[in-house]
Amino acid sequence: MDAVTGWWDDYFWGSMIVLQVFFFSLLLMVLFGLIGAAAKLSDNRLAQKIAGAYTVIFRGTPEILVILLLYFGSAITLTAIAQMFDPDIKFIDVPPMWAGTIAIALIVGSYATETFRGAFLGVKPGSIEAARALGMSNLQTFIYIRIPEMWRLALPPFGNHMLSLIKDTALISIIGLNETFFVAKQAIGTTGEPFTMYIVVGCIYLAFSTIITLSVMGMEKFGARTGEGAR
Amino acid sequence: MSFDLSLITESIPKMLAGIGITFQLMFLSAVLGLILAVILLLMRISGKWYLSWPAQVHIYIFRGTPILVQIFIIYYGLPQFEFIRDSVFWPILREPFGCAVLALTLNTGAYVSEILRGGVLGVDRGVLEAGSALGLSARQKFIYLTTPIATRLALPAYSNDFISLMKATSLASTITLLDMTGIARTIVAQTFAPYEVFISLAIIYMILTWIIQKSFGRIEKYLSRYVNP
Amino acid sequence: MTNPTSDALIQMINVDKFFGEFQALTNINLEVKRGEKIVICGPSGSGKSTLIRCINRLEEHSAGRIIIDGKELTDQVKDIDAVRREVGMVFQSFNLFPHMTIVKNLMLAQQLVRKIPKAEAHKTAMHFLERVKIPEQANKYPVQLSGGQQQRVAIARALCMKPEIILFDEPTSALDPEMINEVLEVMTDLAKEGMTMICVTHEMGFARSVADRVIFMDAGEIVEEAEPEIFFNSPKSARTKAFLSQILTH
Repeated sequence: MDAVTGWWDDYFWGSMIVLQVFFFSLLLMVLFGLIGAAAKLSDNRLAQKIAGAYTVIFRGTPEILVILLLYFGSAITLTAIAQMFDPDIKFIDVPPMWAGTIAIALIVGSYATETFRGAFLGVKPGSIEAARALGMSNLQTFIYIRIPEMWRLALPPFGNHMLSLIKDTALISIIGLNETFFVAKQAIGTTGEPFTMYIVVGCIYLAFSTIITLSVMGMEKFGARTGEGAR
Repeated sequence: MSFDLSLITESIPKMLAGIGITFQLMFLSAVLGLILAVILLLMRISGKWYLSWPAQVHIYIFRGTPILVQIFIIYYGLPQFEFIRDSVFWPILREPFGCAVLALTLNTGAYVSEILRGGVLGVDRGVLEAGSALGLSARQKFIYLTTPIATRLALPAYSNDFISLMKATSLASTITLLDMTGIARTIVAQTFAPYEVFISLAIIYMILTWIIQKSFGRIEKYLSRYVNP
Repeated sequence: MTNPTSDALIQMINVDKFFGEFQALTNINLEVKRGEKIVICGPSGSGKSTLIRCINRLEEHSAGRIIIDGKELTDQVKDIDAVRREVGMVFQSFNLFPHMTIVKNLMLAQQLVRKIPKAEAHKTAMHFLERVKIPEQANKYPVQLSGGQQQRVAIARALCMKPEIILFDEPTSALDPEMINEVLEVMTDLAKEGMTMICVTHEMGFARSVADRVIFMDAGEIVEEAEPEIFFNSPKSARTKAFLSQILTH
């Protein structure tokens, strides 16, 4: 492990990048998931079809392919657009971080679409009817009955989606994001100890996964407690 | 920027030349992974800590880290040690194909083991009690009651994992293997036409996903014949 | 201590059962002779299900002795299996094997436990399906049958093992009212043929007409034990009276 000394700084900043990508992709993933679920649940057939296509495409294609396509595709599209204005431009580089963040958010968002949709439909009609029978308004029913119940149903799969996101950040190293994986590659170049360097990466991801798992477990306990109180 | 149709018709057959590798990776890892999953499951439910702990550690590590890291540790990492290079496994670990199968197997084994465990835990306790009351041994209950019922319960989740495995085979391209994705990346590097090539490839993968879903749907329907006859 | 070699088929001697801190059974003493029909009743949570589940060791008793047909229930797997072969059980929720047809449900344990050849097991299965009057359902799956039919299959499944004793754990509680009688009829027929039976049930009509003894349990104890005539007409304990007044008035 002596070889790692001197690389801790780089691993630390690499981890920060993992966190940054995780944070932004989480926001986008929730957004895509909610939009997708809303579209699938809407009465608009076109919206349903588009959301259906979205989930089929992003759940049926390897993650790495989506990342590559978004990265190289956006680069050439932007270059082509720029060349319309200034023919001298050779190539516009899209930051891998943004292409990657959007790519993994789109992928995991397609799974989240089903989670949110399922949670919405999973709320027992009986609870809703009971709330209405007690004279609660639509809005009150939504806030006090539907949202907590959806939260309870969606939390366990949502925890898995967060784990997918954190693990998928590793794939963005393929297009050159300088996260921990990328640090390891550089470190191997000078130290010649690939096993050590990749194990460090593995440990960093394992730590992140553990933190996410533990927080989801904590939230589930909290949800279960309020659920019991409501009963 | 234009969409080059001739490039698509040219590159699809080239990429399909790699479908054999994709299939080999997928089926080998699926079979070996299922065997591993069953072993891990039996270890977990054995009730003996020295069996259940190692299984849980394996599952925790392989589900908690990116598969890409696992592939790299095995392919690039292991040769760091001389005893590995001298071992009988070296002919397998030297080849990217062997490393990819090993990584995918260890990975999918961890996930599938959890899926199977979910199925086993989902078996109605009353049914097992009825088995006990009739005098069936623990082993007979596991074989004749738990296994068939748990298989049906686990199948939908298993089919999703199978699709994940199929998609994960594309990561073999990162360790120089020329599966469909590996070939596509080579073509893009030469032609710099990511849209044409990657979208065509995405469609091929989507068709595979669809075939897997349909096949598992058939099996599911057969296994569920006693639920909705 | 009672002599284990008495003529009783079931002997429970000073049996206690704990679930963690909670004492489910307290000092149970019970003897059941060959051919006797016992009905156990009592409020929910009184330990009546736990009691009969201890008899075929679906629950392990914490203290005391349980002796079935001369064999004592110990930790030995062999002894437990030997006892389970003699003791049939019918559950509240039927617990048929959902993935097997009705006739396979009846054949499985015969083949695996009694090592009976397939053809003979099939013959026995059909014989008992006729006894419970549903031979035509033999090749259906449990989910295709009504609750009453499923429970009759469950009884036939227990009978296929040719048990000495059958335990019934609230066999009619999960049934729609119109199906209760078809199950009670089968049970009454069995009783007439001399089967040793212990039934946990709230069907007091059944208890009155079939039972040799009625046992009332409350809070894990046997509170009262009497012939049905005496039990229903002049119960001694206040707790029994309170229970009977609740259960008989609706």
